Amino acid sequence: MTASTAATANGTTSSAGNAPAQADRTINFRIKRCDGPGKPSRWETFAVPVGRGANVISCLQQIAARPVTTEGTRTTPVVWDANCLEEVCGACTMVINGKVRQSCSALIDTIAPREGDTVSLEPMTKFPIIRDLWVDRARIFDNLKRVKAWVPIDGTYALGPGPRESADSQTTRYILSTCMTCGCCMEACPQFLIAENEHEWETAFIGAQAISQARLFNMHGTGKQLKGDRLDALMGPGGITDCGNAQNCVQVCPKEIPLTESIGVIGRAATVHAIASWFSGR
Amino acid sequence: MADTDGFLERHHFLLRRLHSLTGIAPISLFLMFHLTTNASIVWGRLAGHDGLTGADAAVGTFQHEVNFIHSMPMLLLIEIFGLWLPIGFHAVLGVAYALGGKNNTTQYAYQANRRYALQRLSGYFGFLFIFYHVATLRWGWTFLVPGGTQWTGEHAASTMAAAIRGSAEGFTAAGMIVAIFYMVGVSLLVFHLANGLWTSAITWGLTTTEQAQKRWGHVCTAIGAGLMLAAWSSVIGFATLDYDAARAVELGLQGAEHAPEPASEVMPGMAAKEIDETETGG
Amino acid sequence: MAQQRVIVVGGGLAGLAACIRIAEAGHTIDLFSLVPVKRSHSVCAQGGINACNEVARQQGYSEYEHFDETIYGGDFLADQHPVLEMANWAPKIIDLLDRMGVPFNRSAEGFRDLRLFGGSLFKRTHFSGATTGQQLIYALDEQVRKLEAEGKVTKYESWEFLAPVLTDEPRCVGIVAQDLRTMQTRAFRGDAVVMATGGAGMVFGKSTNSVICTGAALSRCYQAGVAYANPEMTQVHPTAIPGADKLRLMSESARGEGGRIWVPRKQGDTRPATQIPEAERLYFLEEKYPDYGNIVPRDIATREIFDICVNQGMGINGENQVYLDLTHMDPDYLTSKLGGIMEIYEKFVGDDPRHEPMKIFPGVHYSMGGLWTQYVRGNYAPSEPQPAHVSGTTPACDTEVGRGMLLGAPTNMMTNIEGLYAFGEVNFAFHGANRLGANALLSCIFDGLFSGVSVANYLDNGTPSTAPAESISAGVFEQAVAAEDAKLKAIFETATGGEASDETNPYIIGREMGEEMTAAATVVREEARLEQCRGKIAELRDRCTRLKLADGATWTNQALSYARSLGDMLVIAEAMVSGAVLRQESRGAHYRSDYPDRDDERFYKHTYAMFDHGTGNARIEHIPVQADLVAPRARTYGEVTEDDENETTTPETASAGA
Repeated sequence: MTASTAATANGTTSSAGNAPAQADRTINFRIKRCDGPGKPSRWETFAVPVGRGANVISCLQQIAARPVTTEGTRTTPVVWDANCLEEVCGACTMVINGKVRQSCSALIDTIAPREGDTVSLEPMTKFPIIRDLWVDRARIFDNLKRVKAWVPIDGTYALGPGPRESADSQTTRYILSTCMTCGCCMEACPQFLIAENEHEWETAFIGAQAISQARLFNMHGTGKQLKGDRLDALMGPGGITDCGNAQNCVQVCPKEIPLTESIGVIGRAATVHAIASWFSGR
Repeated sequence: MADTDGFLERHHFLLRRLHSLTGIAPISLFLMFHLTTNASIVWGRLAGHDGLTGADAAVGTFQHEVNFIHSMPMLLLIEIFGLWLPIGFHAVLGVAYALGGKNNTTQYAYQANRRYALQRLSGYFGFLFIFYHVATLRWGWTFLVPGGTQWTGEHAASTMAAAIRGSAEGFTAAGMIVAIFYMVGVSLLVFHLANGLWTSAITWGLTTTEQAQKRWGHVCTAIGAGLMLAAWSSVIGFATLDYDAARAVELGLQGAEHAPEPASEVMPGMAAKEIDETETGG
Repeated sequence: MAQQRVIVVGGGLAGLAACIRIAEAGHTIDLFSLVPVKRSHSVCAQGGINACNEVARQQGYSEYEHFDETIYGGDFLADQHPVLEMANWAPKIIDLLDRMGVPFNRSAEGFRDLRLFGGSLFKRTHFSGATTGQQLIYALDEQVRKLEAEGKVTKYESWEFLAPVLTDEPRCVGIVAQDLRTMQTRAFRGDAVVMATGGAGMVFGKSTNSVICTGAALSRCYQAGVAYANPEMTQVHPTAIPGADKLRLMSESARGEGGRIWVPRKQGDTRPATQIPEAERLYFLEEKYPDYGNIVPRDIATREIFDICVNQGMGINGENQVYLDLTHMDPDYLTSKLGGIMEIYEKFVGDDPRHEPMKIFPGVHYSMGGLWTQYVRGNYAPSEPQPAHVSGTTPACDTEVGRGMLLGAPTNMMTNIEGLYAFGEVNFAFHGANRLGANALLSCIFDGLFSGVSVANYLDNGTPSTAPAESISAGVFEQAVAAEDAKLKAIFETATGGEASDETNPYIIGREMGEEMTAAATVVREEARLEQCRGKIAELRDRCTRLKLADGATWTNQALSYARSLGDMLVIAEAMVSGAVLRQESRGAHYRSDYPDRDDERFYKHTYAMFDHGTGNARIEHIPVQADLVAPRARTYGEVTEDDENETTTPETASAGA
């Protein structure tokens, strides 16, 4: 086949990937900025030319290259957290037009369809701010430790396959396992509040994410060995009982994980666990 | 886990579940019973009572039911341990729990989230209302009743009507406020009950799937609608009661059911007199 | 003995697998990552992970054939022993991942489901929906979280690796890193350092890579004296969806599950795809490669799509795009097998690929090249290289551990600097000139698990056992930190005074670098254009010395971090282009229109680049490929050429597996 591909001396056509559509309109970005923890917040507005297919990330990239506000003031590039840009890593979560979501999948044509529309960007409010739109979500990962969100394996030596599993069970586990720890469910939860200090994490509400992860690992053939530990953790302060059933979590979850079902399932397990523990004297 | 810290932490799960449990039984059960009883002021018209018909029959039925309750042995003990303490427990913990959340219905105007917010609001308001209701009618804190009506078990319907209208003769301005307060109070409590039933099914793990939660939601809506009807008809029934006719029926019943006692002639008369005095005085 | 510590840089599959294995061997680890490790770029891998399995085995497949396919797919540029060992380990790795709870798709009976993937006629790819990489890294992340809770691993997330700390020998005894929030730089002592920092897609501007895949860590090692092998080998994935900020991958599994690539037969046909009848569609891959069809290896599919669009002008509506069509398949089946990528297409393009053919075009995807590493051969040593393996025949060797590489040899996957290892995509081994789909996840985890043992043994028996990093004088570390601080200060000071212009704007320089690299050094390369590119890079590097920072903050200064990485990216861009200029042949992903054929005579060799501090450019030699196991053969994938319409090179037994 090699012979069939002719040389293209003109570099512009030998490229892989397409150039984005040309900008055909301008929209405004209102961005809530903050220089660091404890510093005051301020709003800055930027006019950004956008074309078809633009998203919040591509606009932030443009602002970074030309950080000049609509008033003509030169400012610093906006700081934000991002990585995969295809909504699987969870990094670029922020509050866009008042609602929490990933900025990579926030397409401008959808969120600001007309010329001159304004998009507002704010950092998540339930996690301590680092700078501008970047917040510290270490607590979510800490929560995973609280519920021992892992399968206790004996080690990495070859010990044969894992437990057999039905396709149905796999389907349920897979959906739960697509959770990318983005924090949307916590940001939107009226029961989940910011906890600046690490020592508060142990007793503050853990949020739907960790509850759902506990369900995921309780379902696994080997993972269920820690079921009791997980339920004990979730039955303490800040656990499953602190859920207020506002169910915002399931509404804002970008992966459409059935979080409220997980809450019900863990609620049931906790009920059974409490009764069983009482009767078995534990 | 910080589970060994204090009593509240150690018994976190138990307290939470007791909070939920007291909401269902005895409080919800009592409220259902109470509202159905009170609604007899309307549906009693259909039933007839000891040869009475129409509104008179309703007054009779209601009076009969009140008499039945008042004839229960150890009524005060039942009230204290079956009602006031559970309600107090549910309310105090409920307020404490509710203060641990932060409404966000403006940003996330989902239906379940609005119910979450309303559940808390109805809890606060409902507790105030119950307190007023019990204090004025049961404990005799007549200084809180416009017109100062003292509700009595012997003249259950008529004194009730006078208490929420502000006078035996009809609505006063203050009475109107009381009537509206009653209307709002019972409505919020019915909502609190129905929504509480719905969330408790998730809490206890009865409804674990979205489908089940939906189905149970329909049942709770139906229960709520039925109770709402009972609640509204009770309040409207008392608010529109023919005072004099009701009084006549009540006196007649006393003659029929008990040997006439001199005191029973005096008591209602005194109450009526007091009303007259305050009426003229105010 | 002082407490020994291992430093792992990078928290993707390779880094996490290394942590697990090294911790298991009893050592304590400091894990550095630019992002929380769970957000590493491994999450983007979609299609699956290859391994011989019982079904394929009974159809005539074997670990040995997996090895043979990988070598053939990589156009014979990989050292063969490590690849053999990897293929032999693959089934064990799948079992381990299964035990860790990875929700692999299941068959009706509850066994692990399998799918077809590029470069093979057997179903040998295990998968978890279309987000396999995500599921695998989550499983490893969970195991590392357990180790973290047990105190065996300490995570330094949002820390950037700046340089290895080397003694005069040289030996690697630690790293200098910077906290991206506080901007504090400090040295960390480590008896061994494992680089698991992934690929360098950002050098090409827009690619399928995540924004952290700059290759800066690789570049910093290279500048510190680590050899950079096969820098010119960059995989361009055939099916990506163009976006304003990146190119989003549409997994090869879309084709593995039955997706078909086509364009309208009539040039400039403006009808919507669904209205073009079957007969008027040109399934160019199926026509040209009757055996493999749409699942030819990536470099071939990419060049064919490129040829159809760029040379023949047959792209949809005359644009650079072709259809990737799944609409003939059951929508529910697609959701269960490919839900993850269906969702990406729907979210980012707005059409439902279950009912509308997807529009795709190639995009930069994977770096086969990387830090040069060594290994100790295993005990399989045929008297002479074997011919092509025929499916269904007895494999040339068994699957015993240690056939390809000696397990636990301290130098396995160690770079030319003692104590400095390279695992995963940043390691040049395993994939040669082109990586087969679903082999990347395997190579990353294999590196961590297999060579993790080597790291532990190096600590136990190597230099650190007698001269631990703790015993190295503090001056070495202080000096290394001072050197990095000086570099940072130089960039930082540009933030004050003077007006910013495109000329000195790091973001503009970065964009120009990406556009130039994509234009000159991707699908089709040619000497004059490469030289022009080299000139452009020199110009950009010059501008980089005068760049102006837009942010003077001493807290969480991302502009500073970007500017520093940019300089490092330009360094490896030069090596990539120089390597491409000097490789005057076409092999795998490296296609030279001026040298369209593979030239085993001159270039059956690795490009071995050392950074020259004098010129700031690569000093390149070519070193022989260690290829004693399989003899090179023409890489045709059964292509039907115009002169030879009836050619079939695939043995009959193989088709049984398809």
